[in-house]
Amino acid sequence: MSGTLAVYQKEMATYFRSPIAYYVVAVFLLGSGYFFLYNVFLTGETAMAGTFQNMGILLVTLAPLVSMRLLAAEYSGGTAELLLTLPLTPLQIVVGKFLGALTILLLITAGTMVDLIPLYLFGTPETTTILAGYIGFVLLGAACLAVGQLFSTLTHNQIVAALLAAAVLLGFWLVGHLQAFQSSPALRGFVGYLSFSLHFTDFIQGLVRTEGVVFYLVISAIALTLSAGYLQWRR
Amino acid sequence: MTASPAIALESVSKRYGSRTIIHELSFTVARGEIVGFLGPNGAGKTTTMRMIAGYTAASEGRVLVAGRDMATDHVDAARLIGYLPERPPLYDALDVSAYLRFVAKVKGIRRGAIAAEIERVAAACRLEQVLGDEIFKLSKGYRQRLGLAQALLGAPEVLLLDEPTAGLDPGQIQETREVIRRFGAEHAVLLSTHILAEVTLICHRVAIINGGRLLAIDSPAGLQRAVEATNQVALRIAAEPAALRAALLAVEGVRSVDIRGEAGAGLLEVECQVDADDAVEAAIARAVAGRFALHRLERREPTLENVFLRYVQAEPARGAAA
Repeated sequence: MSGTLAVYQKEMATYFRSPIAYYVVAVFLLGSGYFFLYNVFLTGETAMAGTFQNMGILLVTLAPLVSMRLLAAEYSGGTAELLLTLPLTPLQIVVGKFLGALTILLLITAGTMVDLIPLYLFGTPETTTILAGYIGFVLLGAACLAVGQLFSTLTHNQIVAALLAAAVLLGFWLVGHLQAFQSSPALRGFVGYLSFSLHFTDFIQGLVRTEGVVFYLVISAIALTLSAGYLQWRR
Repeated sequence: MTASPAIALESVSKRYGSRTIIHELSFTVARGEIVGFLGPNGAGKTTTMRMIAGYTAASEGRVLVAGRDMATDHVDAARLIGYLPERPPLYDALDVSAYLRFVAKVKGIRRGAIAAEIERVAAACRLEQVLGDEIFKLSKGYRQRLGLAQALLGAPEVLLLDEPTAGLDPGQIQETREVIRRFGAEHAVLLSTHILAEVTLICHRVAIINGGRLLAIDSPAGLQRAVEATNQVALRIAAEPAALRAALLAVEGVRSVDIRGEAGAGLLEVECQVDADDAVEAAIARAVAGRFALHRLERREPTLENVFLRYVQAEPARGAAA
């Protein structure tokens, strides 16, 4: 536990010395702010559903920029030789780093809550629906970061890690559209189950379903376990 | 019951695909011993260090650190190791004290003892002046010393140093050697270096490796004794080369003659490999005195450099072809 905590603290100390973190936070907050204003003024509804949908797409494209450096920068900077020879298990390294990235996500999430102020000042939004949306947003983000971290574990090149992660995450986001082309109900169900966006839509609509929660947690757990397994294997 | 050696390699091999980099390497390093690890570039020194440190696993054989198997007990074994890789593993974005604090925490040093421990290693490596500086601003010498400082944190039982004095100025090299010597009095140190003088100065034993094979391991003096059978006698002499070669090879105890060229003013520089017998010099002097103008004749003691070259040149890098 102390090893994981030390890795986490080191991650937090290094994250904000890099311009990438500021860039990602700034772009996300500007983007989500724009979508919020657009959706509220366009629909005239005091709801976050449309904004959450846009935030989801933003997250899928920007999360790889947060996760790309997690292990790839350790390899290219030569610090992996320190990290992997210190008394740490691969899982401690992976979890410590993941928690660091997750903290950035939580900061971004907290930043978007500024949008709620005018919503509550000038309307009567459904708090439970908004809460469900935020739960979905954090779970989606955790899964995106874990998948991004897996690709960062596999390559020395941060750009390659980001591009591969973005491609796979967009695939997970868009795979739900394939439902329309499936005649078999089983395949339709399977494709729908894999879809990041369909599960996220449930949360946006105020439905915190066990299936959705478990889906994102399982994706995160699988990606983190594969990352730790790869670190062990490359020894 | 005898205590396990601090480092023990038991028939360790390392393969990458079909290529074997390290061939059945076996040696031990005891506590209170500094062992120099010598070999030309690509000999397998860094790979061996990495296997002992746990960065990469052995394909065959066992690496034991204080009796703990690196393959099955990595975390416990890693607690006993301080490792300075060839390239100091530093986080440029951190400042020096934050970096040392991170390593200290991971090494499991008690929270209350961390500040004192950082102070201790910073003093040993002369880092007090830069503790608050960001690492990316440090000179190469400071970076190297910071790498050494993190390895020393927690006074590990085993210290693995890959080229620890690279990039340091002469004063810093001397200080670093002193730190290693002091540390090696009670702990086990395996030191990879290209600087042969360093090995002579601070190492109790020397391991020579080439092509992933251990060629010799002994004290510097022991290795020198081992090759005393091939001492050198150097001459500076005015002579016709073919006649000189014939005259020298006729002397009993002269194994080979190497005429190295003109030294100016018609003088030749000549090196003879000879037996350890002291009478050889006198026999050479007698053989050339009447026929050629002898300007200088001296016996050269086998230096560690000669010893190293003899072993390495006698054992071509078979690993490269494997």
